[in-house]
Amino acid sequence: MSYDLQFFYVWQNLDKLGQGLVVSLELTGLANLIGLTLGFGVALLLRAKSALLRAPAAAMVEVFRCTPVLVQVVWFFYCVPILFNLFIDPMVMGVLALGVNLAAFNAEGYRAAIQSVPREQYDACAALGLTGWTRIRHVILPHALRAALPVLMTNGITIFQQSALVALVAIPDLMYAGKMLATETYRPIETYTVVAAIYFAISAPVSLIVQRIEARFDRVQA
Amino acid sequence: MAQDKLLKIHNLHKSYGDLEIFKGLTLSMDRGDRLVIIGPSGGGKSTLLRIVMGLEDIVGGDIYMDGKPYILRDGAKTKIDRKLQARVGMVFQHYTLFPHLDILRNLTLAPVKTRGMSRAEAEEKAMGLLTRFGLDAKAHAYPSQLSGGQKQRVAIARALMLDPDLLLFDEVTSALDPELVAEVEAVMMELAEAGMPMMIVTHDMHFARNIASRVVFAAGGVVVEDGPPEQVLDAPQVARTREFVERVFAKKR
Repeated sequence: MSYDLQFFYVWQNLDKLGQGLVVSLELTGLANLIGLTLGFGVALLLRAKSALLRAPAAAMVEVFRCTPVLVQVVWFFYCVPILFNLFIDPMVMGVLALGVNLAAFNAEGYRAAIQSVPREQYDACAALGLTGWTRIRHVILPHALRAALPVLMTNGITIFQQSALVALVAIPDLMYAGKMLATETYRPIETYTVVAAIYFAISAPVSLIVQRIEARFDRVQA
Repeated sequence: MAQDKLLKIHNLHKSYGDLEIFKGLTLSMDRGDRLVIIGPSGGGKSTLLRIVMGLEDIVGGDIYMDGKPYILRDGAKTKIDRKLQARVGMVFQHYTLFPHLDILRNLTLAPVKTRGMSRAEAEEKAMGLLTRFGLDAKAHAYPSQLSGGQKQRVAIARALMLDPDLLLFDEVTSALDPELVAEVEAVMMELAEAGMPMMIVTHDMHFARNIASRVVFAAGGVVVEDGPPEQVLDAPQVARTREFVERVFAKKR
């Protein structure tokens, strides 16, 4: 195989990839906003006493966890407009698709974290007269959020990578910009290599931070 | 009323599923009492403390504090008087400090949030207690930075922040390394000398003898023997107590 690697064209058009990256980061940021808030709400529903509240939340979590994200994105784009007669900006659609998916995964993270709060902490609260919202706000939540943090961060950065899928429905993200550039320059190997490197460069530090946090938690638990 | 008992447990019944823990246990204590409860493991010693703290449902019976109904079985529900519950404090085997708060905040959280104490007032009181227990240097440390003995002393201080009229100790030295037991027991002895009414579950018979004003041997869901430590530990009147005490002391030697 004799392929002459030529990165020149990619460097020359780095600004286009940069614009795409901005869109990808926007998608990720907004999806995380939905994922962190809606996910928390869903987690509370998952722990509700009433099965009527629990069942839909559990169904939502399972549907989003057990179908490919790619299918979810495509479904949002083609089926939602037809089924609900709702035509909105593709970017909004992308944020919604990724955000709701993330919410399902985060809900599980929150739920597990709330469950991980030892029963003894509740006993201690009862013995000190800490009840209701005071107990949740000052003891259970801080406890649970710490436990949930690594999972939420991992899910959040996974969505950054998954966001590449929206290129398929013509949202001008990093992947889409890469696709355009590869076609324009006839340099797919170089272009996609650089695109992959950009995804990696953003994701890797977050993953490192998560490892640090987990190591710290292990020390604190001991 | 002066003649009312601090705590009166009458005909207490408790079970977990089919397992009957208490079958009509009756027990009372005066203000000057330091009750040590001994008995076979699985006999419900810790459960008794948890019930008195209001952490468990009961199946039947009633508990009075100063002659006022504290915990009752009312139809299908256990009714707990929250005002009276607030007068009881408890220290647990596994410290149960709040890991995300520093020591000072561990102490001040409850008085500030539930008693309407000002932050400054609570901190002053907390520092007083920490100084008394030799922990003032640790006020801004987190629980994970403390030894087990230090954590347990903080837990005792935290319970004292609410000025309890009765303090429950549930095997508070059982999770500690042997060399740390003494510092926790010393704090408890100090409280005993200051006249704090206590109900204690411990496996340390030597400590029981030192701190108890009364020893209660509970087995089979009832109180078998109840008397001063010299009686229950050294010259039990009931055969069942004698058998238990002999076995426990034989193991030690």
